[in-house]
Amino acid sequence: MEISPRGYERALSLHELLSGVVPEKLSAALGSLLGSPARVVSADGSWALASAQPLPMGARRMPLFHDLEIAGYLETTSNDDAHVRAAAMVLESIMRSGARYFMASEMHIEVVQADFEELKRKHEALMASEARYKALAEHLEARVKEQVEIIETAHRHLYHAEKLASVGQLAAGVAHEINNPIGFIRSNLGTALSYVQKFQSVAQYIKSCNDAELIGLWQAADLEFVMEDFPPLLQESIAGADRVTRIVADLKGFSSVDQTEEELVDLNDSIRSACNVAANRINSRADLKLSLGELPRLRCKAGHLSQVFLNLLLNAAQAMTQRGEIQVRSGIEQGQIVISVKDTGCGISPDILPRIFEPFFTTNDVGAGTGLGLTVSRDIILAHGGNIDVSSAIGAGTTVTIHLPIDRRNK
Amino acid sequence: MAELDEAQRKLTIKLVYYGPAMSGKTSNLTCLHDLLSPELKGEIMTLETQNDRTLFFDLLPLGFRTPTGWLVKFKLYTVPGQVVHDATRKAVLSRADGVVFVADSQSSQGVNNAESFQNLEENVRRVGLDFETLPLVVQFNKRDLPNILSEEEIQARWSAAPWPLVMASALTGMGVKSTFITLLEAVYPALDKNFSLQKMLGTDIHSFISTATGEPCGNQS
Repeated sequence: MEISPRGYERALSLHELLSGVVPEKLSAALGSLLGSPARVVSADGSWALASAQPLPMGARRMPLFHDLEIAGYLETTSNDDAHVRAAAMVLESIMRSGARYFMASEMHIEVVQADFEELKRKHEALMASEARYKALAEHLEARVKEQVEIIETAHRHLYHAEKLASVGQLAAGVAHEINNPIGFIRSNLGTALSYVQKFQSVAQYIKSCNDAELIGLWQAADLEFVMEDFPPLLQESIAGADRVTRIVADLKGFSSVDQTEEELVDLNDSIRSACNVAANRINSRADLKLSLGELPRLRCKAGHLSQVFLNLLLNAAQAMTQRGEIQVRSGIEQGQIVISVKDTGCGISPDILPRIFEPFFTTNDVGAGTGLGLTVSRDIILAHGGNIDVSSAIGAGTTVTIHLPIDRRNK
Repeated sequence: MAELDEAQRKLTIKLVYYGPAMSGKTSNLTCLHDLLSPELKGEIMTLETQNDRTLFFDLLPLGFRTPTGWLVKFKLYTVPGQVVHDATRKAVLSRADGVVFVADSQSSQGVNNAESFQNLEENVRRVGLDFETLPLVVQFNKRDLPNILSEEEIQARWSAAPWPLVMASALTGMGVKSTFITLLEAVYPALDKNFSLQKMLGTDIHSFISTATGEPCGNQS
């Protein structure tokens, strides 16, 4: 197994060992020291110091050792042993010094190279680590953003939930208070109607009797008209009381908005009840048209969805600058429940359309609205796995469309 | 790995003195230069800074000719012990045939010794040598100083290690030659395995060592 050494371990030639000196000067100096011609040649004779002429036969050769081996010879015609030995020693010292320089420089190159490689490696490792931290920082920013969004949403929900809770409490209280009196009013009206019928049976008898004074009194009091008008009067009152009862029932439905339990409901019921609650606000401004298709019962937070429908209806009513029409549709499209509320109101201008879902964004006067209606509506729809879209044209009206997946629970 | 030049019938064996800073690696070489008298002995070449700290390495060439006409050269190197010169240590250690780890016996130097030895193990692997089979002798130097670990303590601490231990004082010369001989005893079998040294050089391990050290009888002193 042969491995040729490199770098500082490399074998050095005589030429290399003497490369640090000026050949002519050394050659001349040797000649002067020895007092006779002298020359330095490599061991194999292939190289000689300066352009010295070959010496005549009989010249002596003094070996020059380097690294335990003969690297070259000092050739001279001098017979002065001591001087020749001294000159050889001087040459060997120069050669050693040359070797020292060569080895040191080779080692220096090797070390610098190794240090540089190491530095490069460390630099690369550092770059990689920097990239890792950069990615982490970027990721962190996104994470913070995400968390902030979650917190903001939660905050909105809390705000809304509190509002709803107070509204719900009020509605529940009012409904309870009205329920009792409306109950006996409705019942009394029924009784009153039967009493009127009893009066009517007596009226027949009075009219057919011959008591002129009684008939005179009957006619003077116009009781004929009273008897005729009384039953429809009571019927109307009964219808009115029934309507109050229904509205109270719907109000009670909204009073449960702060309940977070999911239940199975027909969303058409929720839409109708929202229409009833909003009827007063709508009827003065628009005609309400419902075209509700058959819907499967959906497991959802019904109170929350009712709130969404009410929001949309009130928004639609508010958009009316003159009397118009509000159309509410429901149906199934591609396995999703689709509910749309379309109005013929003023519409939303394109520059604010992208902002309408932003929290606290409102075009109402201060105090007229919180600007949370649509934001919370969207949150609620998203929480049900659905989405909500708004398309609008200035002057032509706005359509809000809600898509809700039916089989969200089954996935 | 030793360098074999079959054309010129030359075998060069590289031996490295490793160890912590100031543990006496250069002193070992200086001392060997004085103690040994092989057929061929060069001058020590030192590459040092102004304050006598080894910068790159020291080099002592020794050699002899075998009856079969082969030139066997030993190149004894020291490494710079200072931690900062690790790249140089690695370069010197590459292709080594044997290593003397020169530890400082002073009880205060335990950590330095341990760190340097660990550095040796790392660098041996980094230059592609096998630490399990690399011929290695551990020398505890500076036995002439006070406040040193006792020999019993050292023997106890190193009892589990497979390498021979030599107590030495490079200043007085004690144990320096026997460290060298112990190393040659470990190196010869490894080289013999690779080069069939005995057949090639015509020397057995005893004559090999005695010729290398210049002791006719080859006894260890």
